[in-house]
Amino acid sequence: MNVDVIACALRELRQNRRRTLAVVSGYAITVAFIIVLAAVLLYSRVVQDIVIGGTGTYFVTWLPACGDISSLTEKELADLAKGIIPAKCQEQCENCTGCNKKPYDILNEGFVVNTNTTRLLTIELAEKVARLDSLKNVSPCLMFRFRDPTNNLIFTAAGVNPQDYAVVRNCVAAGDLVEGSYLDAAQPGKILVESGFAINNGLKPGMKFSIAEEEFEIAGLVRTGVRPLNPDIMMLFADAERAINKRIHNPLEKEANIILAVSHDATHHIKAMEDVKKLLKTDSLLTTGCYWPASEALGLSERMVWGFMLIVMCGSVLFAAKIQWAAVVERCRNLAILRAIGWPNRVIAWQLLCESLFQSVAGSLVGVLVGSGLIIAVPVNSLLGVDAAMTGVLNPVLAIVVIAFAVLAGLLASLFPVLRMSARSPLDDLRRF
Amino acid sequence: MGPLLRVEKLSKSYHTRGNEIKVLAEVSFSVSAGELLLITGRSGVGKSTLLGLLSGLDRASSGSIFFQEKEITGLSLAELAELRAGSIGMIFQSFNLIPGWTARENVEAVLMHRGINAAERQKRATEILSELGLKDRLENLPAELSVGQQQRVAIARTLVNDPVLILADEPTGDVDAETAAEIVELLLPRVNSGRAAMIVASHGLFDAKLASRIVCLKDGSLSETAQ
Repeated sequence: MNVDVIACALRELRQNRRRTLAVVSGYAITVAFIIVLAAVLLYSRVVQDIVIGGTGTYFVTWLPACGDISSLTEKELADLAKGIIPAKCQEQCENCTGCNKKPYDILNEGFVVNTNTTRLLTIELAEKVARLDSLKNVSPCLMFRFRDPTNNLIFTAAGVNPQDYAVVRNCVAAGDLVEGSYLDAAQPGKILVESGFAINNGLKPGMKFSIAEEEFEIAGLVRTGVRPLNPDIMMLFADAERAINKRIHNPLEKEANIILAVSHDATHHIKAMEDVKKLLKTDSLLTTGCYWPASEALGLSERMVWGFMLIVMCGSVLFAAKIQWAAVVERCRNLAILRAIGWPNRVIAWQLLCESLFQSVAGSLVGVLVGSGLIIAVPVNSLLGVDAAMTGVLNPVLAIVVIAFAVLAGLLASLFPVLRMSARSPLDDLRRF
Repeated sequence: MGPLLRVEKLSKSYHTRGNEIKVLAEVSFSVSAGELLLITGRSGVGKSTLLGLLSGLDRASSGSIFFQEKEITGLSLAELAELRAGSIGMIFQSFNLIPGWTARENVEAVLMHRGINAAERQKRATEILSELGLKDRLENLPAELSVGQQQRVAIARTLVNDPVLILADEPTGDVDAETAAEIVELLLPRVNSGRAAMIVASHGLFDAKLASRIVCLKDGSLSETAQ
C-alpha cells in the first residue's frame, strides 16, 4: 500500500459524498446504538448488583455439639464441669473447647441455635473464617437459650456486635426497629426485643427485662423478618457473654457459638459457603432460601447481556458487509476500467479496504460521541426512578473496543466483496455494466 | 526484428449450461510495429473476446500469445496488469471513462501505482490532453464534455504511457463521421511513425483504407482479406 492508494481512497470518498455520508452514518448509528445499549446494560448490572447482589448472600454457621455428651457418666459430667475433659471427648473432637462449659440447667438452657445444640468456637477461628477471600464480612455471635427461674419463661438471646455488616444481614438491623431505639455499642445493659416475643410477654421499650438475674433495659422492639438467626432478645456481645457466664460451669474465654457471614455477592455465595464448610469441617450452615434464584437471575441477566450484544455485533457485521458489497457492486464498471488500464487487483483491493477503514473509523468515532452524548443527556436513572448513580457506564475501554470492533467488522466485511471483485473478469464487467 | 505480437493457435471457449461455445478456434496471426491490423466480422463473432485475450484481460482456452517475443499467456494477473499499464493501450467503443473523475484524473489514472510521482503524472496528463486540444477541459467531468471530447480523453489515456501496442474496440463505433476521422487522425501518426502497432476490431465502421492488413473473423477462424 502506498500514498497513492490512500489518496485514491480519500478522493473516492470525497467524490461520492452521499454514499460516504450514508456509510459513515450507518457506522455511527450502529456504534452509538452499541454504546447506548452497553451503557444501559452496564447500568442495569449496577442496579442488579445492588439489588440482587445483596440478596441471599448471608448465612450463619456453627458446629453441632458433641453427640456423645449424653452418654457421659455422672463422674465424667462432674469432671467436665470442673474443666476435666474425658478422654473419649478428646479423641472425638480435636481442639474441644465447649464441653466443659455446660449450663447448670442442662435440660432447659444451652448454646442453642434453632433447636440445635452447638459447640463453642474460638474467636480466632472466626477471624480465620473472616480471612476467606469469598467472604465480605464475618462476625462472631453468642446465642444462648435462657430460662427465667422466676416465671419459667424460656427465650433465646443473641449477643452481637451491632455495627458489623454480617449482623445486619443475618440477625438485626437498625431498619428493623419498630419502636424505641437501636443498640448502641457505647451503651451496655440495653437489649432489643423481637416484636412478636414482646407482644406475647407484654414488653415495651424502657421496661426492664431479667436475663440471668441481671436487669436489662429494653431499648427497642424490632421486627427482624426472614433472617437466618431469629432470637427473641438481641444484646451487645459483652453483655451476652456476662449473662451466659452466670449460667454455665466455666466462663467463656473469647468464644462464640455462631459465626455470622456475608459472601461477596450472590454469584460467590455458594463458594463462600463451601469455603466455610471446608474450614470448619461442618455441614451446619443456615442460609436464606433465595440465594439460588438470585444468583441464577444474575447469571441469566449476564448471559442475556452478552447474547444481545452478540446479536447487535453480528448485525453490525452484516450491515458493514452489505454496505461494502453495495459499494463494490455500484463501482463494478469503474473498477473494471481501472483493471483494464493496468491497475493490479492488489492495489484496488487495498483501496477498497482503505475506504472501509476510513469510513468505519470516522463512523465509529462519531457513534461514540453521539452515544456518549445521549447517555449524558438522557438521565436514565431518573426516568426509571432508580436511586443509583450512572457511574462507570461511560467506559473508555468499551469505547475503544467498540471502535476496534467496528473497524474490524468493516475490514472483514470488505474482504468478501474485494475477493469477489478480484475473481470477476473485468471484460465481463465492462460488457455487463 | 520479429513481430511485436504473435498469436499461435489461440482458442477460446465458453461453457454455459453444459454447452461449449467455441468463440475462437486456433487463430494465428502476427502484427509488427508500424502496422494497423483491422479485424472485421459481424457483431458477436468474437472480436472483443480476441482483443480481451491479447490485452491479458481474459485467459485463452489454448494457444499462445507472444508479446515482444515473450509468451504472455502464462503470466500472472499482476504481471499482465503491469504489461497493460506499461506497454498496451486500450480504446473502448464506449470510451469507458470514470464518470466521477475529471479529464485529467482519468488520464492520470494510467500512470498511477507505477512509481511516478504526482507532479510528474499531472504534467504528463496535462501535456497529452493539451496536445489533443483539451487544455481548457482538464478539470471537467466526462459528462461535461462532448462525445468527441470524451473520446479524445480516452485516446489521451491510451497514449499517455506511450504504448507499443494499441488495441481499439470499435473506436469509431459511437461517433459521427467527423469525430471518427478526428480519432483516426490522432492515433495513426503513432503507428505510421513505427513507434506502435495497432489492432482495430470493427464490424465495418472503421475506414478500411487506413489498415495495413484486414482479417475477417468468422466462425472462430481468421481469414486474410484483400484490401
